[in-house]
Amino acid sequence: MTILVIALKYLRGRLIASVLTAVSVALGVGLVIASVLMASGIREAFVTSATDYNLVVGAKGSPMQLVLGVVFRIDVATPNIRYTTYTALREDPRVEVAVPVMIGDAYQGFRYVATNAAYFAALPWRRRSFALAVGRQFHDDAPDAPAFEALLGAEAARSTGLRIGDRFSEGEEMAEYPFTVVGILKPTHSADDRAIFMSLASFWQMNEVAREQTMKPLTAVLIRPKRMSDLPGLHRERNVSADTQAVLPSGVILTIFSMMAMAQEALTMILATVGAIVLLYLFVAMYSATQERRREIATMRALGARRATVLGIVLLESGTLAAIGGIVGIIGGHAAAILAAAALSTRSGLVTEPFVFAPLEPVILAAVIVLGTMAGLLPAALAYRMEVTENLAPLS
Amino acid sequence: MDTRPAVVLSDVKKSFPLAGGASLEVLDVGRLELPVATCTVLRGRSGAGKTTLLNLIAGVALPSSGTIRVDDTDILGLSEARRDRFRARQVGYVFQSFNLLAAFSAVENVMLAMTFADVVPRRRQRGRAAELLARFGLAERLGHRPQHLSRGEQQRVAIARALANDPPLVLADEPCASLDARTAGVVLAAFLSVCRADGKTLLMVSHDTAALSEADRVLDMAELNRAEAAA
Repeated sequence: MTILVIALKYLRGRLIASVLTAVSVALGVGLVIASVLMASGIREAFVTSATDYNLVVGAKGSPMQLVLGVVFRIDVATPNIRYTTYTALREDPRVEVAVPVMIGDAYQGFRYVATNAAYFAALPWRRRSFALAVGRQFHDDAPDAPAFEALLGAEAARSTGLRIGDRFSEGEEMAEYPFTVVGILKPTHSADDRAIFMSLASFWQMNEVAREQTMKPLTAVLIRPKRMSDLPGLHRERNVSADTQAVLPSGVILTIFSMMAMAQEALTMILATVGAIVLLYLFVAMYSATQERRREIATMRALGARRATVLGIVLLESGTLAAIGGIVGIIGGHAAAILAAAALSTRSGLVTEPFVFAPLEPVILAAVIVLGTMAGLLPAALAYRMEVTENLAPLS
Repeated sequence: MDTRPAVVLSDVKKSFPLAGGASLEVLDVGRLELPVATCTVLRGRSGAGKTTLLNLIAGVALPSSGTIRVDDTDILGLSEARRDRFRARQVGYVFQSFNLLAAFSAVENVMLAMTFADVVPRRRQRGRAAELLARFGLAERLGHRPQHLSRGEQQRVAIARALANDPPLVLADEPCASLDARTAGVVLAAFLSVCRADGKTLLMVSHDTAALSEADRVLDMAELNRAEAAA
């Protein structure tokens, strides 16, 4: 028998207390892991969604509203701009790619996004890629020949239950122009998973206001310049225009991150408090276990166990509880992050990758084991210093 | 035949500090020798210092003055860690209240003593523990935890544990005091039988008439302890 076996048998001997202590450690670690995963996942999802394009051109107003509405679709869309804004940018020799975007109403809560094939093009600099799960993309119809074809994001297809060939419409206005599902995208882990894509021509024909307008509307134009050195010029020109503003999505993301930083600081303090409470619980559990075991510790000493041996047994117990709690907590944290990611995806389309084990996790586990072992230090010292003869008195 | 005494105490005193800087002397033994392979029974009134004497010989308590030699080793000259190791290997201790560890089975309780002594190789510990328990009629109780054993069985496990490392010296503090007369008889007979068969030097605190009649020597604390006599 080794002292590790002795420690494990002691843990098994007070199984319920051991399980409760390990569970409390696991809850604390799980909370930290889930929070870290979700925070980094949301950050990554924001970056991935917003950094394909360097400039978003839209109507005058709040830059954040423009980016949140067009890129993440978590704010109301800004007013419209003229289609000619897009054609001018498309023809600009400094622009590599210009993508027109029209954000419309929604079908069962899934936003209409009218655009063209450029939106889905596989380009080497894109962080995101679009792939069809089934079917095909809609055609870029001529303005006078809308085909009313729809391409569904993965979550939109899953939630609405629409399949290839299904026709759908919502409201009286749209009933006249039902759309036909021609394709469904694979998950992109972005807001596009909750979008219903269609051609601009189809949207303009379906939308009563747009139908009547000679100059067709757009919500925004996404821009990728040929050279980064052209970006300030494009940005300035579009901002001095009376009708449009140009926003750097990365700048908006930084603003969002700085706002999130305050929340993250508060979260960090909460997590640190949770960690301290868990360690305190572990300490109390080990302290009471050592107190209850005074006679047994004295007996072991009388049988020849050295002070260091009883110290080691208590430390191994607290270290083992911390290790079990830490491992279960990491697994549980990932499980919680998976559930949270699914909920977040359903609500916003922002999807994180909770399955990815961060390099920080072995460090967290090691820290939990070290801190957990240290929580047993005082009870272990108590066992170390225990007076043998005082605790060996015969029971009455 | 080895004629050296197994245990020699010379001018051993033990006092406990009292409030106000005073001290209470509870033990004062001028000379005590325990011959090898003998059974000595120690008797005396409660508080006469019997348990204190056993604790001093085992090295779990230290005297205020004097020398204690066990198996020709001055145990007070050893560091605490070496004294612990010496005790684990050379001394078996049977407690009045058994002091079995509740989280461990009978066989594991016996193995525990071997773990601390590190004399019996790890792979042989379980076998030796089972063998010892079988000698005390507990072959069918190896996996039982203390709470699932009768008091007589618990004390036999405690005796097996004391003998686990084959120590030359066995100390027993009223091993049958908390057992009924019939069970005490059975346990004592088995204990003495094994100690005699294995040539152990046994110092046992007991008031049991059977133990007194089986002893090679009976010591009375009232005569042995000068502090007791003075009181």
